[in-house]
Amino acid sequence: MIDTALGKKKPLVDWEIIILAGSFLVLQFILPFKMLVTEIMIFALGAVAFNILLGFTGLLSFGQAALFGPGAYASGLLLIHFGWHPLITLLLSCLTGAFLAAIIGLMSIRKEGVYFVMLTMAFNGLVYFIIYQMKEITGGEDGLLNVPRPDLSLVPGIKLSIQSTFQFFWFVWIIFILSMIAIKRIIDSPLGHILVAVRENPTRTRTIGYNINHYKLLSFVMSGFFTGLAGGLYAMFLKMVPITVVEMWTSGDFIIIALVGGVGSLYGPVIGAVLVKILSEVLAELWARWLFILGLTFIVFVMFMRGGLWGMIMGIKDKMLFKKSNLEGQP
Amino acid sequence: MILEAENVTKNFGGLVAVNKINLAVEEGMIHCIIGPNGAGKTTLFNILTGELPATSGQVFFKGKKITGLPPHQIARLRIGRSFQQAQLFRNLTVLENVRLAAQAHHRGHFNILRHFRYFAHPIEEAISVLGELHIMDLATQKAGELSHGQQRILEVAMALADNPVLLLLDEPTSGMSPNESVKMIGLLRKLGQRITLLIIEHNMNLVMSVSSVITVLHQGVIIASGAPDEIARDSQVRSAYLGRSTR
Repeated sequence: MIDTALGKKKPLVDWEIIILAGSFLVLQFILPFKMLVTEIMIFALGAVAFNILLGFTGLLSFGQAALFGPGAYASGLLLIHFGWHPLITLLLSCLTGAFLAAIIGLMSIRKEGVYFVMLTMAFNGLVYFIIYQMKEITGGEDGLLNVPRPDLSLVPGIKLSIQSTFQFFWFVWIIFILSMIAIKRIIDSPLGHILVAVRENPTRTRTIGYNINHYKLLSFVMSGFFTGLAGGLYAMFLKMVPITVVEMWTSGDFIIIALVGGVGSLYGPVIGAVLVKILSEVLAELWARWLFILGLTFIVFVMFMRGGLWGMIMGIKDKMLFKKSNLEGQP
Repeated sequence: MILEAENVTKNFGGLVAVNKINLAVEEGMIHCIIGPNGAGKTTLFNILTGELPATSGQVFFKGKKITGLPPHQIARLRIGRSFQQAQLFRNLTVLENVRLAAQAHHRGHFNILRHFRYFAHPIEEAISVLGELHIMDLATQKAGELSHGQQRILEVAMALADNPVLLLLDEPTSGMSPNESVKMIGLLRKLGQRITLLIIEHNMNLVMSVSSVITVLHQGVIIASGAPDEIARDSQVRSAYLGRSTR
């Protein structure tokens, strides 16, 4: 009874994660675009981090690029000027994202609905202009060029190169899977369930004794942490940091990816990233106006498939299980 | 006195919804607040639980001032409440609704590295509350799919989950069938033996049969307060409810 009402107890690494990890390996080997899967994982991580806010806490943030971009700049700058260990620069990207999320969160969570959305948007604009103006450090419009990918040295004496496309794929794959395990654990934790309570009914959450502003802020910080990480990986992936990473468009990308994939689950945005990125890649080669089709896809999903791709897949699964159990029930 | 309101006033613009109310709830009592629609009952509740700030006046819980505290801090003093319009986590199961309420009072809910199913106390408490209210069979249903009467009971279950010493219930039988109302009355009697209850109610059958004290609110002012039989005889109360006689 408890299992049906609350869901089963789950280990840190379960089948879902193994299937996820395996699928990306398969994708890497079957897709003709060898760089694409790495990019998909980076955007999937960003979209999943965004979904901690939208899907689990019910906060529609239009300012994710203000976390993603600075994450990219943090790693980019540290790698260019100091050539630090990639894992350390990535950690600092995470902290940059979390820190900015804490500031933006503190200023915006007290507002609700449209006002909240507008505030996050305004902060995105603010961060964009700061980076745009600080030309000496950020390169302004030109962004950062020639971001190196230093070798990984995990134990003294042994160095792993992450130069080639394939080596870098493994590097991102491991970080992506570890991040997904961590996010999944957060979602399944007592704290993760409070986030869902805040989404479902803030009034009730308050009256049973939770300070909802604390939880909204925590949700922001956790989202910022992983969004910053995605940003740092993106800087290494491109070997440069274009100013577009902090533009409002990029915030929109994460929203589109999450909504197409489905915000109701942890894995929806991952599927969204796979679809949107492959579609963009294929369409961009076929037709110069490919954004039109992408926009149309987005509208169709928002209007007719509120659960996104993941909701659709689960719906089909439920129907098949239902049929099966019906057949079994017959004499 | 477990709960006291001193000169509590609430203005909405020019409208005085609650006017200089003095209310004392004695520990162990079932205290009912009655009054016609718009008398200010729910507004008073919202002030007592911190949902609304009072324009003036003070609220004390066990002698300590709680005026101006946010709702979650008042809840942590073990003051539970239910709402007139059910406030539930509609997409979550009944057991999860109550578990979340129970979890609020345990250390360790900030832990992000533990799977919530290994956090056993809140689950045990939720199950025992469901058992006490005889709604264990609903545990796996989503709160939004329950009947109206079942939702009212779940409201009470969530308020009970933190083991409150004072429970504020806003029209617990509103919209219930007569049969369900009778059950609710029985439940309130049982709860009244260990928890102080402050209840807003329209159902006179309930009010007269369970209350130890009744306070009558009319146009934001207390017009009478006392034992049920005194209230039933009070002429001011009769005129507030039945209209003034024209003679």
